[in-house]
Amino acid sequence: MEKITFASQLMQYLITGLTVGSIYAMVAIGFNIIYNVTEIINFAQGEFVMLGGLIMVFLHVAAGLPLLAAFPLTIILVTLAGMLLDRLAISPIRQPSVLTLIIATIGASIIIKGIAMFIWGKDPFDLPAFSGRNPIHLMGAVIQPQYLWVGGFLIIIVILLTFFFEKTIIGKAMSACAENPDAASLVGINVKHMILLSFSLSAAIGAVAGITITPISLMEYDRGAMLAIKGFGAVVLGGLGSFPGAILGGLILGTIESFGAGLIHSGYKDAFALIVLLAVLFIRPSGLLGSVEVSKFKRF
Amino acid sequence: MLKIEKLRAYYDTIPALKGVSVEVPEGEIVSIIGANGAGKSTLLKAISGLIKTQQGRIAYKDQDIAGRAANKIVALGISQVPEGRQIFAHLTVQDNINLGAYLYFKRRNRAEIAERMSEVYTLFPILKRRVKQIAGTLSGGEQQMLAIARALMGRPELLLLDEPSMGLAPLIVREIFAVIKKLNESGTTILLVEQNAKTALNVAKHAFVLETGEIVLEGLASDLLDNPKVKEAYLGG
Ligand SMILES: Nc1ncnc2c1ncn2[C@@H]1O[C@H](COP(=O)(O)OP(=O)(O)O)[C@@H](O)[C@H]1O
Ligand SMILES: [Mg+2]
Repeated sequence: MEKITFASQLMQYLITGLTVGSIYAMVAIGFNIIYNVTEIINFAQGEFVMLGGLIMVFLHVAAGLPLLAAFPLTIILVTLAGMLLDRLAISPIRQPSVLTLIIATIGASIIIKGIAMFIWGKDPFDLPAFSGRNPIHLMGAVIQPQYLWVGGFLIIIVILLTFFFEKTIIGKAMSACAENPDAASLVGINVKHMILLSFSLSAAIGAVAGITITPISLMEYDRGAMLAIKGFGAVVLGGLGSFPGAILGGLILGTIESFGAGLIHSGYKDAFALIVLLAVLFIRPSGLLGSVEVSKFKRF
Repeated sequence: MLKIEKLRAYYDTIPALKGVSVEVPEGEIVSIIGANGAGKSTLLKAISGLIKTQQGRIAYKDQDIAGRAANKIVALGISQVPEGRQIFAHLTVQDNINLGAYLYFKRRNRAEIAERMSEVYTLFPILKRRVKQIAGTLSGGEQQMLAIARALMGRPELLLLDEPSMGLAPLIVREIFAVIKKLNESGTTILLVEQNAKTALNVAKHAFVLETGEIVLEGLASDLLDNPKVKEAYLGG
């Protein structure tokens, strides 16, 4: 047995922090996709993560579907939930202001949480790790194989999204809607479809976050709100609307939280995100990588 | 080709168009001149579907298109070059051009896109040299060219132009109007809206004068150029 040194402790905090941070980054990316197209902060973003975890538990553990079938099926079901959110809560609102839409997402998140409690109850659920729970040792720190899955999926998401936004005409059309919806509709883009697509993509990414984190930290019906706050903290830290900012913000936030919990007090874990959020809003509201222009809400 | 009858449009309850009737015959350039706030942009937005609250008829090739969504109206062959260019400033010139052909991408019509692109770059060679540049960094004149090029990628039969001369130096304005003429000669019908009355009347066959939401004068552009009222109000005496 290796001796636990202070250095190996720090290493452990870093690895745990980056893992949790990867999840925050995924939530933050989801926020940004919707924000960029609609200027809505979708506070139901965390519910997608919760649904991802719990639906995966249901399909894989309770229904016994193999991992490779349950994984995509879960993503599809959560994506459908995202589409329903747009169709039932967002697109029916006449003469929407950004503020009413944001309030609609908060209302939706409460409803989704209620439905989840009705279906799954209040207990947390576990999910088998994708490739077992034999830890890998690195410089005195313990790495669960699942940590690597989390990081790996963040990388996959980033690669796929980069390809989507840089190389496909639909991705460009989404960027066009984000920039100028009227001009976008003048070239034949159906802006409502793009909004629906943004909710679908965000939901799918949320599902991946939920599926990959559940084997590490379990999942229960009311986890969404806190995840949304953490993801939003990451968004603000990185700069509203910026994808590199979302990743950086998520990883930094996760790391701060992990070091704070380890070195100061684990009871304050959730407070660190809020402290960071407030500090950024006071010191540099545009975030690390955001443009000052974007940080002024255009339609508020 | 386009026949607008008694069109009314409102912002909330304030009328911006109070029963406007305008006809655009196929193959022509028709100009609408009017001061700032007359309702010119509102009229074009109503035609292209960006504004919904309206009464009256907008007949394009004998079908009523009033109230249809903007993305459906482009597909019928009506493209608008909006006031102030409205290019996608954060995307590249090439992306803007590609998005202009969005409907053809959707139909996977690559051959059509390539053909349009070479036509557009022949019309605006400067854009071809700037394909990788971020559109927002172009000069005002180049942005206007890009806005026109983007609209042309949709292969419009009717092109709506909202103040293409706005904020541009006279030399550039001349260049852009030369292109407008050329487009018209190759068969595109054009509805042009301008505060720059002289340039707009010189290029058009028929023209209308719009004042606070109403058409107050109409006729051959050459007659309007000689009309004393037009001279006094729009051509500087
Ligand atoms: N989005 C809007 N909301 C309220 N009023 C508007 C809006 N856009 C234009 N208007 C008003 O409608 C009238 C016509 O405007 P517009 O069509 O832009 O004129 P023009 O293009 O001839 O300058 C003006 O009085 C203007 O103030
Ligand atoms: Mg105008």
